[in-house]
Amino acid sequence: MNFIKKMILIVPACFIVSCHADLDQDPIDPDSFTETNVFANAQEAKGALAKLYASLALTGQQGPAGDADITGIDEGTSQYSRMLYSLNELTTDNAVVGWGDPGLPNLHAMNWGASNDFTTGMYYRLAQEVSFCNSFISNAENLGSDPEVQAYIAEARFLRAFAYYNLIDLYANVPLVTEVSTSLPEQSDREEIFNFVESELLAIQENLKSSGANEYGRVDEVAAWALLSKLYLNAESWIGQDRYSDAVTFSQQAINSTYSINTNDANGNGSAYDELFLADNNSNGAQNEFIFAINFDGNQSKTYGGTTFLVHASIGGSMDASEFGVNGGWEGLRATKALVNQFDYAVTATDEDGNPIEWEDERAMFYTDGQSLEINTIPNTFTDGYAVTKFKNVDSEGNAGSDQAGDFVDTDLPLIRLAEVYLNYAEASLRGGGGDLATATGYINELRERAFGDDSGNITSADLTLDFILDERARELYWEGQRRTDLIRFGLFTSGSYLWPFKGGTRGGIAVEDYRRLFPLPSNLLTVNPNLEQNDGY
Amino acid sequence: MRTLIKSTLFLLFLLPMSFFAQNTVSGTVTESATGLPIPGANVIVKGTTNGTTTDFDGNYTLGDISEGDVLSFSFLGFATQEVPYDGQSNLSIALEEDASALEEVLVIGYGSVNKKDATGAVQQVSSEDFNKGPIQTAGQLLTGKVPGVTVTSGGGAPGEGETINIRGQGSLSLNSSPLIVVDGIPLSNDNVGGSRNPLDFINPNDIESMTILKDASSTAIYGSRAANGVIMITTKKGKGNEFKFNFSTSTTVYTPTEYVDVMDGDQFRDLINDIGTDAAIARLGNANTNWQKEIYNTSFGSEHNFSTTGRIGDFMPVRASLGYTDQDGILRGDNFTRSTASVNLRPSFFDSSLRVEMNARGMYTENTFANRDAIGSSVDFDPTHPVFDENSPFGGYFTWLNADNVQINLAPTNPVALLKFKDDTSEVRRFIGNAKVDYDLFFLPELTATVNVGLDKSDSNGRVFTSEQMPSTALDWNGAYTSYSNESTNRLFDAYLTYDNDFDLHSVNAVAGYSYQSFEDYRYSYDSEAREDGLDYEFVDKWKSVLLSYFGRFNYNYDNRYLLTATLRADASSKLNPNDRWGYFPSFALAWNINNESFLESSSAVNQLKLRLGYGEIGNVNGLGDYKFLTSYTGSRSDANYLFGDRYYQTYRPSALNENLRWEVGRNYNAGLDYGFFNNRIFGSLNLYLKETKDLISFVTVDPFTNFSNAIEKNIGDMENRGVEFDITVVPVEKEDFRWSIGYNISYNENEITSLPDEVQVGDISGGTGNTIQLHKEGYSPFSYWVLKQVYDDNGRPIEGAYVDRNGDDQINDDDKYLYKDPYADINMGLNTNLNYKNWDLAVVTRANLGNYAYNNMASSRAYETRATENSILRNLHTDYYDAGFVATTENNLVSDYYIQDASFFKLDNITLGYTLPELFEGSSLRIYGSALNVLTVTDYEGLDPEIDRGIDNNFYPRPRTFAIGANLNF
Repeated sequence: MNFIKKMILIVPACFIVSCHADLDQDPIDPDSFTETNVFANAQEAKGALAKLYASLALTGQQGPAGDADITGIDEGTSQYSRMLYSLNELTTDNAVVGWGDPGLPNLHAMNWGASNDFTTGMYYRLAQEVSFCNSFISNAENLGSDPEVQAYIAEARFLRAFAYYNLIDLYANVPLVTEVSTSLPEQSDREEIFNFVESELLAIQENLKSSGANEYGRVDEVAAWALLSKLYLNAESWIGQDRYSDAVTFSQQAINSTYSINTNDANGNGSAYDELFLADNNSNGAQNEFIFAINFDGNQSKTYGGTTFLVHASIGGSMDASEFGVNGGWEGLRATKALVNQFDYAVTATDEDGNPIEWEDERAMFYTDGQSLEINTIPNTFTDGYAVTKFKNVDSEGNAGSDQAGDFVDTDLPLIRLAEVYLNYAEASLRGGGGDLATATGYINELRERAFGDDSGNITSADLTLDFILDERARELYWEGQRRTDLIRFGLFTSGSYLWPFKGGTRGGIAVEDYRRLFPLPSNLLTVNPNLEQNDGY
Repeated sequence: MRTLIKSTLFLLFLLPMSFFAQNTVSGTVTESATGLPIPGANVIVKGTTNGTTTDFDGNYTLGDISEGDVLSFSFLGFATQEVPYDGQSNLSIALEEDASALEEVLVIGYGSVNKKDATGAVQQVSSEDFNKGPIQTAGQLLTGKVPGVTVTSGGGAPGEGETINIRGQGSLSLNSSPLIVVDGIPLSNDNVGGSRNPLDFINPNDIESMTILKDASSTAIYGSRAANGVIMITTKKGKGNEFKFNFSTSTTVYTPTEYVDVMDGDQFRDLINDIGTDAAIARLGNANTNWQKEIYNTSFGSEHNFSTTGRIGDFMPVRASLGYTDQDGILRGDNFTRSTASVNLRPSFFDSSLRVEMNARGMYTENTFANRDAIGSSVDFDPTHPVFDENSPFGGYFTWLNADNVQINLAPTNPVALLKFKDDTSEVRRFIGNAKVDYDLFFLPELTATVNVGLDKSDSNGRVFTSEQMPSTALDWNGAYTSYSNESTNRLFDAYLTYDNDFDLHSVNAVAGYSYQSFEDYRYSYDSEAREDGLDYEFVDKWKSVLLSYFGRFNYNYDNRYLLTATLRADASSKLNPNDRWGYFPSFALAWNINNESFLESSSAVNQLKLRLGYGEIGNVNGLGDYKFLTSYTGSRSDANYLFGDRYYQTYRPSALNENLRWEVGRNYNAGLDYGFFNNRIFGSLNLYLKETKDLISFVTVDPFTNFSNAIEKNIGDMENRGVEFDITVVPVEKEDFRWSIGYNISYNENEITSLPDEVQVGDISGGTGNTIQLHKEGYSPFSYWVLKQVYDDNGRPIEGAYVDRNGDDQINDDDKYLYKDPYADINMGLNTNLNYKNWDLAVVTRANLGNYAYNNMASSRAYETRATENSILRNLHTDYYDAGFVATTENNLVSDYYIQDASFFKLDNITLGYTLPELFEGSSLRIYGSALNVLTVTDYEGLDPEIDRGIDNNFYPRPRTFAIGANLNF
């Protein structure tokens, strides 16, 4: 009896003492890893490198959504190229969208505020990519001198430079952060960031794999050259420095690499241009033109952004989704007539109202049936404005992509392709960067021959003017996330000298304030980091 | 309790004097209502210290007594009887139950207290005061009964969960529900997968009382989990000598009451013919289908309960119960069945110095979840088409088809097909049990050692089978199967000492102890479609956390006039950084029983007048997440891998750093007055409170240059909840066969974010992608609506696209939005009455909420002209189109303050009328009753139901009107 009585006191006392150690719990979830797992060796670290690429292609650790990298914005919307499209195409003469998503209608109307979902989401995505890269670089540096690891690190530095390239294009004045630290960074100016991107790209040329030597999906030295060509081309516009001769040099270096313009008309429709945007563009020849592309797969790399967005959102009205290899349209994106008009020189057929419906230039990929060229209403009215058929989820054989359900798209998306470098060369050359006008004309004609299927669209050196280049960039690169930067470089983005439908929110278009050449820093961030100063005008 | 212990002590001290005895009296003390013996009743010779207590059979023997002495018989909860002793050797007494609430014993953390000695804002609702009628969940028992406590059901589904809030919305991003403690076991805050309601497991018929601890001085003993108040559920215990049985049964009918206002077939045809293109007009059908009527129906439910209570041997009171509920929902196919069993054993040993209480409670529920997608699609679906279309490849159900003969992307799915072709079922098993041992130490009987060991284990399995006949947009659709299972284990070990002693006018009660609780979760799911696509198809999540605590409470009472309580709890959680994981939560309270002062002692009008003051600090540990202070990496799932070369790699993402995350800490001030007049014919209380929450956790922006995300949970803000609560119960008539009582309670509450550096958008709505309607902002209530100010024309019609340009920059964007109203009622009221006349009983419960606003998302997302014809299909419109006439679903239209509507309401919740047939046969009674629930709602709100938790009215499962008849047999 007394034994029992004593045990009543003693047992609990022992229990109490032994339980304090239980407060130290380790993660037991099978999907959770620590630094020692992830950076155990070069092979494991490749998964961490893959994240640096994937954070431009996907939105989180679950496909298509469910474990987002960025919060405060719809996950599908937060994908890099979808936001790039929104900020660099929807703000321009190239496109409108009919949806009422938060902040989206403000883009074409050019009246976004400093808490706009797209301007903030893009800033967050790019800044996060910088942090991911910084973390990767410092961890991978501990892995020793394995040449493969050196290539990983160089690629991470390329991706960080690429993120900063985007940041100075969109926001200009951002902090320069090269190490993981929780202390609040100081703001740098556009020139400091420019110099950083330049020096990084120059420095990593040696460590990146040589042209064509890396596996598909990873960048090599040509990516550094091509990005330098873009950087120098914009140097005058961004920091007032004439760097056109550098632009010519690095464009030339990229052009002379193993990369080539795709001329393989794999589906036999008379043009080798559309192959660039088909589901098998990683193997139909287009891949030879892709200096830097992000990869998608309908099963294993799913997102509501990327090409899934471009294909679905472009479909609506009387379009047959199965021709695009998907199960339906999201009825959002259309072209303004300003884009359609870029192809006026090549119209071969018109409808009864005199609106163009067929073109010799095969890059004019518009769906016109039931669509009106003129836009009266942007919201909810897919049939106002021509639809664009550039992006498809069918391969060269006409087969739909790998997602049998027709939801997610296989098509990869080029972020830098050789055709752009051709145009960079020609423009930099025209702007006094040296180079050779005849060579430049030759490059342009190479693109035109692909577009026409023959030399009927070829130009002469006399035709090659800066205005022509801007239009040709629209024809070649529309909806690939370049237009805003181009219009700014040509001084036309905000000014009244070039108006397009609903520019500035009015139907005929009006000029907007010059400060809109830059997007605002996220207003929330200004409270968090008092070192930051908002861009002018916001 | 004190009286009991006091008399026991007297007995112990005075026993040696008993040889002076002159006479001896013995007898039995029983309950007059039931005839059951009362063990532990006090028998004292008035004016002396001579006394005893009754044994388990209610028997007593008291010596040392002379003729002319007055014997006083008392027991908690019963009216004391005084009987002059005139020499008889046998004196048996039947004690009447005391209607006075003052003698109530309140269950508090790690102990109990007599209500008159309570110092905190504690309110107990016991079984006789519970809401009557067909009650499925514990929360329903309380609705409208307690000021400051709001119980909002998530909707009208059977067994649906409730949001319970005590004293307002206390947190921004964390769960703001109170801690629920069942027989001493604090429950986990994680939901049980596959379950409709975390409180499902307990059969309301097994609940003896629910005690609401509202202020910090009473909740602080639960430290880091107590910030939102505590609800202590005490289950029914075994009592009595002989076995008594109770059988109850009821049958219930649920009827849909209202439908969302949408166009009928003819109205819709007129509209399309008016505004549609030729293509749109060609899509019209000839039918007049009311899709909402197709998916809702009148449904039935029944409930049977059986319980018995008695005693095994002479030392072990026992209660056992069985319950079975089977309820269909008004959404066709919805079903909830629950079987419960419980056993309570309370043996005692060594002359009652060792008392054991064991509770075991098992629950098994089977759920069939009707597909709630049908709710939204029944509102959207074109009323001009019939349910069936023989050409449809999808089981003959009308479907919007594209050229590939699959459903058009973005088209709503036929609501009837949604119900028919999805089979979503689950079973949940849950066991919750505890064994508690109280032992009065042999060397110091004033000291009691208590050990309480508890286990709460749940295990659920669910599966969703979607038929290949379900309309789908997928080109390769062949049906889908997903399944899941969850296992949660919550272990508790408490050990504490209680010291209780009186010294003249001073009395002391002190508790000190230790508590260990662990929470483990294992979740598994399976996805057939991922398997078909060659992806990972099995997913496992696991986590575990431990909460370790020390606590103490000191109660001091001087002459029953001045009361003092001090408590301290120290908590450490494994969720927090090891260097900073201990938190300390103190509280103090003072109370003054004014009625025991000499100037009021003689007053017959005032039975109770008690002034209370309390202060305490408490925490909110909910939702902290696990291991957030560690640097970890999340691997990608196989559908978010990335291609290099010809291989897809799993990617690793570093998790956001969050080293310093702590629990929120509330500082809570309370002043209260408890009153009782005219022999407690009028009683109630008044409370004023201020709750300041510091270190409020909010999901806020971090600079992603300094972290791996753009937002993390951070202790960043402060909030205040301020309010007044008042309740009064009046008993206008109290006679033997006629009793009438009226209870009224009112509470006023304000929630205000007093500091928040970063505004946070919340409140996802339907319409567009990723739109939100609410904002957390300093100076405003949390979840305030963040909207544009609509401009109206002279006729009061809103002008589409016209908003007040509040900052005058000639642009309408986020900068023009303002904060307008919030979803929380300023005033909550409850009025209920109970009338017992002879064998009849009538109970009526009503409630009103004032000042709560709702966002009518059904109208805001569905009343646009272009919506009717977009996406190459037709969609029905909400009839708000006739009022507003908006054309396009723009972001600005969605966030117009036009849709923020006053959702104040008055509800007649419950009318129950019963009749009792006494003595149906020997020793029995039978009560039969009828109930009507959700009888009437009075409101200006234009949507379906104004009572929406958090205020966003979108695809709400309508609450049915309910009628029940039932019988309750005691024998």
